[in-house]
Amino acid sequence: MSAHAVSFSAVEKTYKRPGFLGASYTTAVKDLSFEIPAGEITGLLGLNGAGKTTIMKLLTGLIFPSAGKVKVFGHAPTEGAAKARVGFLPELPYFPPHLKPAEALAYYGRLSGLAGPALAQAVRAAMDRTGLEPHAGKRVSEFSKGMLQRLGLAQALLHDPDLLVLDEPVSGLDPLAIHDIRGLLAGLNAEGRAVFLSSHSISEVEKLCSRVLIMVKGRLAAVVKRAQWEAAPGGLETIFVEAVR
Amino acid sequence: MKSVRVLLAVAGNSFYESVRHRFFLLFAVFAFTAIYASVLAGVMAVDQEARVLADFGLALMELTALAYALFTASSVLLREAETKTIYLVFSRPVPRWAYLGGKLAGALLTAALMLVVMGGMHLALLALRGFGAPACYGWAVLGSFLKLSVITSAAFFVSLFSTSAVSTMVISGVLWTAGHFVSEARFLADKAHGVSAAALKGAMLLIPNLQLFNARDAAGAACALPPAAFAAAAAWTLGACLAALWLLSRKEF
Repeated sequence: MSAHAVSFSAVEKTYKRPGFLGASYTTAVKDLSFEIPAGEITGLLGLNGAGKTTIMKLLTGLIFPSAGKVKVFGHAPTEGAAKARVGFLPELPYFPPHLKPAEALAYYGRLSGLAGPALAQAVRAAMDRTGLEPHAGKRVSEFSKGMLQRLGLAQALLHDPDLLVLDEPVSGLDPLAIHDIRGLLAGLNAEGRAVFLSSHSISEVEKLCSRVLIMVKGRLAAVVKRAQWEAAPGGLETIFVEAVR
Repeated sequence: MKSVRVLLAVAGNSFYESVRHRFFLLFAVFAFTAIYASVLAGVMAVDQEARVLADFGLALMELTALAYALFTASSVLLREAETKTIYLVFSRPVPRWAYLGGKLAGALLTAALMLVVMGGMHLALLALRGFGAPACYGWAVLGSFLKLSVITSAAFFVSLFSTSAVSTMVISGVLWTAGHFVSEARFLADKAHGVSAAALKGAMLLIPNLQLFNARDAAGAACALPPAAFAAAAAWTLGACLAALWLLSRKEF
């Protein structure tokens, strides 16, 4: 088993936008090399347009690198062997509003290869884990933003992944929902799962993560360990502000 | 085996979403109204009433199912990308061929259900007017379904490079229309010379001959669709699917 859940090696991603007078190109990330250790919570910080979502999409196989190599548990992210071990929560996930949570989860469970009693068990476990059980009778249209985020996390947990990739998991949530999600993520990490999350909330990242990657204009500006920001005056916020200025 | 289960899950979800969608209900209401209008037209046809009722109803059924199938095929991938639903799908071990096959199967299953429901309405209206089921009715409906499978798979292919759902529907609609004039195009190509002949012959290779599936044009036992029609439908559908898969496998989300 690879000691690293994820490794990026000299990765570059350039988006091509076709136009009437020829294509235009935008480089989202460049010369990007880092690892995400298995079993740790790693945070990803950066301003808008720094390349955070591009990194998330690269490691879930939704987009392909223009140069360099991305490996997830030793496999290319597009391979089934890698995807089977990754749970992904995109920012503001959408679920059909007429569905009940168990129905939405059953569909995604089937897509993850689950069937029969194993599927029913996985749906129950994910709902229980994310605190959706009391809301099982409601439809998605009746869900608050916090409950939708829990449902998003539940679908990411269905197939018992070793790595959770979470894009802005606490964005727009109220303090109680943030508290609950934070507790849930800490619990998942305590079971040995690696968590890779991006956020604009430095304080959340500071509370949860053991390591933080700081992205500036598509490049990795700094890798900061918990001991470093705990020792620094002003904490992680000061380190982040210095890095992005 | 796992991939086939995934395909069936996508197809089932696609079918369920379509059937419960209000748009589908609107189509059902539209179809019922339109078929009823055909009865009025039939009254005006005097001694040709049975034939007019049958032809008009079958044509409306095909057009209604076509409009539904084109709407679905042209918008489903765009909508799933816009809502980010596709992220939850392709971040899982879902082969792209299984996703595409499932979406196509779901759309065709819905179109088949529409044809069956509208066919039932149509036959009921004919019975109300005192006519039995027209000859070759089943073959005519089956022919419409074969056309739909060809055009829907082509629409999925077009939707993968087209910039909007509207342009996909327009291109696919043009393909459907042109597909009914392949014999005429062949006649023109034989008469033409030089570049225009080559252009016409080239275009004919890209346009499915939908007249092959028109069972209504034949009479008596000849209306049964020949095996060649099924083979042609399968070949065009498979070709469009493979082309769509080639694009989808390169597509980023």
